Amino acid sequence: MVGTLDKNAIIKNILLTILVVVLLIYTIFPLYWLFLASLKTRVDLFTIPPKFFFELTFSHFKKIFIYTTLETGEEQQTRYLFWLMNSVLTAGIGTLLAVTLGTMAGYINSRMEYRGKKDFMFFVLSTRMLPPVAIIVPLYIVFAKMHLADTRLGMILLYTMIGLGLATWIMKGFFDNIPKEVEEAAFVNGYTRFQVFIKVLVPMVKGGIAATAGFCFIFAWNEFTFASIIATRYAMTLPPRIVAFMGTSGFEWGVVAASGFILIIPIFILFILIRKYILMGMTFGVLGRK
Amino acid sequence: MMTTYDHKKYSRNEKLIKLLFLWPSLAVLLFLIAYPFVMLIYYSFFNFSFLRPVNTKFIGLTNYLLILTDTYTWERFIFTFKYVGLSVSIQFTLGILIAWLLQRDFRGKDAVFTVVLMPMMLCPIVVGLLWRYMFNTEWGIINYFLHNILGFARVEWLGMEQNSLWATIIANTWMWTPFMVLLASAAFSSVPKYLYEAASVDRASGWFKFTNITLPLSAPILVLALIFRLMDEMKQFDLIYTLTGGGPGDATQTVSFTLYKTAFQYFYTGEGSAWAFILLIIIIGLSSILIRLLNYLSER
Repeated sequence: MVGTLDKNAIIKNILLTILVVVLLIYTIFPLYWLFLASLKTRVDLFTIPPKFFFELTFSHFKKIFIYTTLETGEEQQTRYLFWLMNSVLTAGIGTLLAVTLGTMAGYINSRMEYRGKKDFMFFVLSTRMLPPVAIIVPLYIVFAKMHLADTRLGMILLYTMIGLGLATWIMKGFFDNIPKEVEEAAFVNGYTRFQVFIKVLVPMVKGGIAATAGFCFIFAWNEFTFASIIATRYAMTLPPRIVAFMGTSGFEWGVVAASGFILIIPIFILFILIRKYILMGMTFGVLGRK
Repeated sequence: MMTTYDHKKYSRNEKLIKLLFLWPSLAVLLFLIAYPFVMLIYYSFFNFSFLRPVNTKFIGLTNYLLILTDTYTWERFIFTFKYVGLSVSIQFTLGILIAWLLQRDFRGKDAVFTVVLMPMMLCPIVVGLLWRYMFNTEWGIINYFLHNILGFARVEWLGMEQNSLWATIIANTWMWTPFMVLLASAAFSSVPKYLYEAASVDRASGWFKFTNITLPLSAPILVLALIFRLMDEMKQFDLIYTLTGGGPGDATQTVSFTLYKTAFQYFYTGEGSAWAFILLIIIIGLSSILIRLLNYLSER
């Protein structure tokens, strides 16, 4: 009796382990395949059977950064670094602003009462709910009139907006977790409310702030819809740039794969850093707050 | 007297800090959400195109009538509902199963979770490309596997209407099932342990425990996850944009995609605005349910 039970348990264990392995392969394989594509020569990309072992080439990565002019054969830098800078700056500064504003608004909504508080929280959340395609038409017109279209400043504003709802909701949750007595003790010691906020409360939630910033950055970094309409030349970021790589002279799969890979590397790193907070980040801090 | 003075100063401070802390956020929202929203409704009553702003005429509800009486519109809606409905139900089922699979304690659980959850954080543009690369009829690895190894006929994944629906769903499922896994795992782990122990005493089977304890108790979070997905899928378009480009023909154009094209390829700004408003109504409906659930869960 005991023997069969053990046997069943072992079989069950093996089965479950196999399932986990299958799951891992299913998740990793597409990314691995993309990575291989970025290192294959043009011939190896389209062979049947597909090649898992092949002659490595870094020409696709090189091609992203350096191009050879047809007439003279001179090597010149592409504007890729410039677009990369656009992505880093707009997502980075947008995140910084979103988290700052979100922390401030989150604090007020956690500690104080005012008329229309529920409406404010809903309004903030709508940044996450509204489909970008829906508001982009009027937004484009306003941006064009105000000379914000195709500028880094315009993109920074948009990315502030994208992160703001998330930051406000998450930070409100973090402040809710801090007992009121902490502040009261500080008030007794003669701190003003502003001092309490800066010197006592913000240091207590800095882990949460960092994680929130991670999420805001990822969402801004991946953003395509706004960028594809608003940032068409000067302020162009990487996601619309990849689409442009698709368009020119058919599909250069090697280059497309390489540029896709460059785009997801920062996400890998950030994701591993903030993985403990992922539940919080995906649910506005309603679940999984620590 | 001193105390009243202090009190006044205190409440003035309070007001000031509220103003200073809330208005920057509010300003950003008013400028980037409220104003476009109002303008959107306004434009939807005009035959307006921002390429030719001169000929703008007020045409009342014509844009809406045009959209709602066009069979093309309904095809797009039907596709969107099919795509969203199928994607979300597959994600939901798979997500629950995977969460259940990963529920046990095992070595390297943390690492496995990190890998499994990764796809949803990736750029949808890249995910679309990645699957487009694998779905190629001639040299894609998926057809290689189906045709050369398993012996099926080659599938024209992105070239035929019915297949392209499934291609988009497969890619979408790969990317977003992790979200369901994440929320389902959270829901499962929030079920108090003693309930399982009590059930074990009564010799309940694993399946019985799952359907009678785990599922009912994690229902609120599962519903939350479901609505999150529905809302996000309704507005999704960047994944499809690079995966199929809406093709073949218009077969895989979601409502969001059609809106994007109407407004920025044909430059029918007015009609695009009417599209946007219709889409917004659907999403606002979904999100008001979501908000209630969020408030319920955060006050629990």
